[in-house]
Amino acid sequence: MSVPDVNHADSGSPPLAAAVGSTLAVAAFQLRRLLSWQRLVMAALGVIFPAAVMLAVRRTARLGLDDDLAVLMLYALVPEAVCMLGLLVTMCPAVADELERGTWVHLAVRPGGRRALLLGTYLAAVAWTGAVGLLAMVLALAVMQLPNPLRVAGIFAGLVAISVLGRAALFSLPAVIMPKRALVASVAAALVVEYAAGFMPAVVNQATVSLRLRSLLVAWMTWRQRLPVEIHLLVDPQPPWVQIAAVAILVTLLLTTAVVILEFRQFPPSDEI
Amino acid sequence: MIEVDNLVKHYRAGDGSVVRAVDGVSLAVAPGEMVGLLGANGAGKTTTLRVLATLLAPTAGTARVGGCDVIRDPLGARRRLGYVSATTGVPDRLTAREIMRSYGRLHGMDEGDLDRRVDRLVGALDLADFADRPAGRLSSGQRQRVSLARALIHDPPTLVLDEPTNALDVVGARDLFCLLESLRAEGRAILLSTHRLHEIERRCDRFVIIHGGRVAGQGTAAELIGPHGTLEQAFFAAIGAGAAS
Repeated sequence: MSVPDVNHADSGSPPLAAAVGSTLAVAAFQLRRLLSWQRLVMAALGVIFPAAVMLAVRRTARLGLDDDLAVLMLYALVPEAVCMLGLLVTMCPAVADELERGTWVHLAVRPGGRRALLLGTYLAAVAWTGAVGLLAMVLALAVMQLPNPLRVAGIFAGLVAISVLGRAALFSLPAVIMPKRALVASVAAALVVEYAAGFMPAVVNQATVSLRLRSLLVAWMTWRQRLPVEIHLLVDPQPPWVQIAAVAILVTLLLTTAVVILEFRQFPPSDEI
Repeated sequence: MIEVDNLVKHYRAGDGSVVRAVDGVSLAVAPGEMVGLLGANGAGKTTTLRVLATLLAPTAGTARVGGCDVIRDPLGARRRLGYVSATTGVPDRLTAREIMRSYGRLHGMDEGDLDRRVDRLVGALDLADFADRPAGRLSSGQRQRVSLARALIHDPPTLVLDEPTNALDVVGARDLFCLLESLRAEGRAILLSTHRLHEIERRCDRFVIIHGGRVAGQGTAAELIGPHGTLEQAFFAAIGAGAAS
């Protein structure tokens, strides 16, 4: 037997291309893992759920559903409910799954393995949940029969993208801090940060994705002039680019913090399986 | 080269008490040497190996892999280390080739190097018959071979194996040790833990016996056993639990 071929032991720090390559390798691996029939059934339910609700509402509303109210319902169902639930099952178990499957040690002993695990899982969660959200939105729009569906579809594609990018980064923190209770911690984070703090008309809501999403919805649907005065407190008057930049900064801060925590995280052997 | 000097690792248990998992362990493994780390469950073997693998930070003392300190240069240590555990952690739905390629990318290997390396490992570790079969359909022995291939994908000069024969039958264990002997002959430093003493009695160059987180004895088989005993007797004598008989 002659195994030695090329020795990488003395190669320098992984360059950016290698870091991107390893992150994409983990993302591809995680997406492949998600292609099980159980996950596909869950995704199909997520796709059908908003359309089913909209259909039921349309049938029960005697005088027809107001277009703005229909858009508001779509917002609550897709960028909020479907995206949030999708990320709870794809992003939260980022570390716990590896511990349970016995793969954590094999990933963590690679240079950049921990970072690649977190960022790769983040990309996979964003791609998977984003795709489910987009399909759910298209199906729901098909049954809603709105006057300008393409415009609404464009707006909601943006909202879905921002929702999954922001919320997946938010859920990365519970995933690395308390992997075994990440789901419970993420639900708590969603309720406390996104919904309690996010609806608080104070500085604290500036650090939430929900404020940015609401503000973008209002700006892109040109609803601002028609909003009751008290609702103005719940949205940010800044232009859309400021909302998007705020989410980008939030995502960068959350992911950087999660990567740093994971780099130093130690799991005793008893934490596995 | 693997070097552990006065290594200490304490955990804080759930009730707040301090668990001294490793308490002053020192050992060294030279290139081309295979050293067996022996101990009962809870003796501190896995914790010692995990400190070497940069999975756990030592409370005190030092550990070096290929000359790289696991705290000061963890990336260097990881580049020079191949790690195999009892739980193979081989993903069921990927083939051996896919697993090797995925992990090779984590080392930043370019596609050309990766292709050549995977082909070499498939040949050298006798994976050809099942290299393109999903790992979920492989036997325990085949999965452990895939795990070893994954550990060797970046051609590390040192190998750390934590109870690699736990899930293997006699034939699988013998085959794995044959592979390890070949790897030793290439000049790799190999440190492996086990509590199946009869398997390694004639295969390792030296043994380190740990008990209660401390080194209870170390040396070659001849030094530990003497002319007429067995490794098992030497082990029980070292940990003070009475003779095996």
